[in-house]
Amino acid sequence: MNNGDKLSRTAETDKTETMEDSGEQGTELCSHHNVILKSYKNYDNFGVLSLVQYGPVKYIEWKAAEVNVDSDTQDQEWAVVSTGRSSRHRSNSECIRAEPLRLNTVNLKSFKVSRHRHGQHLTFAKRDESRSFITFIFYQANADIFVKSLMGHLKIYRSKKDKNLYHLDEDDNQETQELRRSFAELNLFTETTPYGMWNFIGQFRQRPYETTMGAFCKITDALLYRPAEDDEDDENHVAELLNQSLNNFDDPVIANVSGEEYEVIGSHTTPVLPSRPLVTRGSPLSVDRWAQAMDAEGKVTDFAAIKKIVFHGGVSPTLRYEVWKFLLGYYPWNSTYAERMHLRKAKVEEYFKMKQQWKSMTPGQEERFSDFRDRKSLIDKDVKRTDRVLPFFAGDDNPNVEVLNSILMTYLMYNFDLGYVQGMSDLLSPILQLMSNEADTFWCFAGFMERVCTNFDMDQAGMKLQLQQLHTLLSVLDPQFTQYLDRHDSGNMFFCFRWLLVLFKREFSQEDIMRLWEVFWSDLPCPNFHLLFCAAILDSEKETLYANNSGFTEILKHVNELSMTINIDSTLCKAEGLYAQLLSIESNLPDAVRIIIGLEPLNATAGDSEDDDIEDDDGDASTHAEHDSSIETVTLGALGGEVAFDRGINLQYL
Amino acid sequence: MSSNNVVLGRGSGSRIGPGGTPIAQKRLNTSKNVLLKVVILGNGGVGKSCLMNRFVSNHFDQHSFHTIGVEFLNKDLEINGETYTLQIWDTAGQERFKSLRTPFYRGSDVCLLTYAVNDKNSFKDVSMWCKEFLTYADVKEGATFPFILVGNKADIAEEDRQVSKEEAQVWCKENGNPSFIETSAKDATNVELAFRMAVERWTKFEEKMDRHYETEVVDLRSVKPPERVSCCFSANPALSEE
Repeated sequence: MNNGDKLSRTAETDKTETMEDSGEQGTELCSHHNVILKSYKNYDNFGVLSLVQYGPVKYIEWKAAEVNVDSDTQDQEWAVVSTGRSSRHRSNSECIRAEPLRLNTVNLKSFKVSRHRHGQHLTFAKRDESRSFITFIFYQANADIFVKSLMGHLKIYRSKKDKNLYHLDEDDNQETQELRRSFAELNLFTETTPYGMWNFIGQFRQRPYETTMGAFCKITDALLYRPAEDDEDDENHVAELLNQSLNNFDDPVIANVSGEEYEVIGSHTTPVLPSRPLVTRGSPLSVDRWAQAMDAEGKVTDFAAIKKIVFHGGVSPTLRYEVWKFLLGYYPWNSTYAERMHLRKAKVEEYFKMKQQWKSMTPGQEERFSDFRDRKSLIDKDVKRTDRVLPFFAGDDNPNVEVLNSILMTYLMYNFDLGYVQGMSDLLSPILQLMSNEADTFWCFAGFMERVCTNFDMDQAGMKLQLQQLHTLLSVLDPQFTQYLDRHDSGNMFFCFRWLLVLFKREFSQEDIMRLWEVFWSDLPCPNFHLLFCAAILDSEKETLYANNSGFTEILKHVNELSMTINIDSTLCKAEGLYAQLLSIESNLPDAVRIIIGLEPLNATAGDSEDDDIEDDDGDASTHAEHDSSIETVTLGALGGEVAFDRGINLQYL
Repeated sequence: MSSNNVVLGRGSGSRIGPGGTPIAQKRLNTSKNVLLKVVILGNGGVGKSCLMNRFVSNHFDQHSFHTIGVEFLNKDLEINGETYTLQIWDTAGQERFKSLRTPFYRGSDVCLLTYAVNDKNSFKDVSMWCKEFLTYADVKEGATFPFILVGNKADIAEEDRQVSKEEAQVWCKENGNPSFIETSAKDATNVELAFRMAVERWTKFEEKMDRHYETEVVDLRSVKPPERVSCCFSANPALSEE
């Protein structure tokens, strides 16, 4: 391959000597299970990553979890550093796969936590000129926990420029340490001459390398090398391009561990979900219960209890007309009958005022107002293609189609910045069918749009964020399935796009979608419950996908074809069960997950100003710019404090 | 997706099939099935989904929904004794969804540019769609890529027509001479023919490319495999700060 062979052989030699000096029995200082050693195409290399002390020297050690991890491939792709005394003369292919990979911490320069499609990556960089690196994948995105543990045992200081970068300072040579620190503080060397300083310091050190690091070259090679046939795979290309469009997963984002904080060390395992509790649905909100909920003036005093009923069983169809106005924020829960009458009168007036605005547009004005004209034309086309199979909209010249058109046109004037976006007519249709009244429908629709308007962002940031959040949730709920998706070019979750854009409107019958939406509008049991609902559907479909070894296009096709086949009640039960599972391991959940389901992040540290300047160290600022905005919640949330948390909540869509 | 027999005919941009075998060679084996990726583009409401559904299931739904996201269907077509599997991709037309639509252009073998004959704007925008396709499909032979111009809704009353055949033909002349056909997904006129034209157009294009390719084949084989990038030459920028 390259000189890696030679180097690793040397490393083995050194290593053997070191190990014989210190004896085989090391002390495990901390460890983390279910960590994947990253190779360029194999994500099956699960193992335990730990910090082990042999004599005076500490090693980062990775052991494969199962002896049957294959592999010939592995052996070719990196040299496994052997602990065995007889290993000196082994060729690479003879290396025992169960033997650990050891990295002497003295030879490690730095490590970095970054956010990727496959959870979090923890990447160690070697100290020498090759600047090679090795990556471990924490697919449950909890590398920061391991990093915290390391901090208790190693001399680590956090980079001033990049909060995700940590420098290791295990070199026992005091002089070198001092030097390194002062250089780092002086910041004389810019990123463009990164290892000039290290060469310089190297001259001071005059120390031979001791151990294992030769293996790095080979590993790096394997990471960087892309087989030629990949380039021929268009499906792969489509998925890659889509990933760029969705622009989510490959940037370092989260994992703010406060630099100076040291935590108790212990054996930390990734959270394992307990079995899913059985959940049943309740009965819908009844007329009697609703009447009970109102006081003499008409205020809904215990609206929290009402929401609970709605979450568990929905609303009786006869009551929807009334209750939806509350759920959608048209009527405040604590308003009286009189206030509501007054409010409604004002709102109806306002509606017709706005309607008059577009109604009174002259042909000449329209001619010179292309933005308006284009949107009007698209609305006109789309209302003719919205739910026309339903009796309510059936037939030529159906007046209800005209009302649908009017409301969307008026919404255009109400929120011209957002405009009309395809999908809105789907969201409006069930409300109109229920309310019939044009102005009431408009205001309920406007309330619904408040919840989901980010779905229709010009830059699609809201959709991208949700797809990413879904991936994050799945990676904890079902790591195996998440890996399957990742490996099949579907980690971008694009196949859920239609589900999310119109909140499953295209997947369910009229009756079911009304039920589903009112459940979502209860805002229970947590923010983003609709994402757990996605996860619940996927949980029911994954076996089919596995069985057919479905790839990107097949997954997309399969999911598209699920329309009208999904059972709403069992899926809601499952989604609620998934939430219960997450809650039961609450304290072990990564912050990224906690934020999505409305829990306060754990690693919140208030007032850490260093965290405020988020740097894009990938050098390609333009491609990441969009990403930064879409991930704002997560980043801010991780920074902690109540303010950040509130912002996270505000960005919830349901 | 399809049986093992299917040979990917896609990706005119790449002349080498999986494993380094030239696609042209694989296609010579006529017992095999060729999979063609066909993308239908055009303004909202011109009938892209209807064309696809008419062709694939010979079905027309007056009240079909507008497309959200991306959908595709497969359909086999036999031409001159050879079976082609057409994988037809249908996308949402609104500008807002552009970034999520364009990745699917990659690897297309044929592109149907559609407009409605009763919608002048949709015809005006055909040039825009053509440009968008060429930008994102990464087609190297843009000038000769197999495009088909399809004027749908030809069933409408003559007084509602806003785009004449002559105008469309003029556009074709000025834009690399794609094939042109007027269709009606509603009454099934010319729909299958349009897709046949697409395949024939692709076949011709491929033959031309094959000839082009064969003259180059020796050169290509002498090209060394891509060199591996050593870690020493491509450092991970994420890890260097000092």
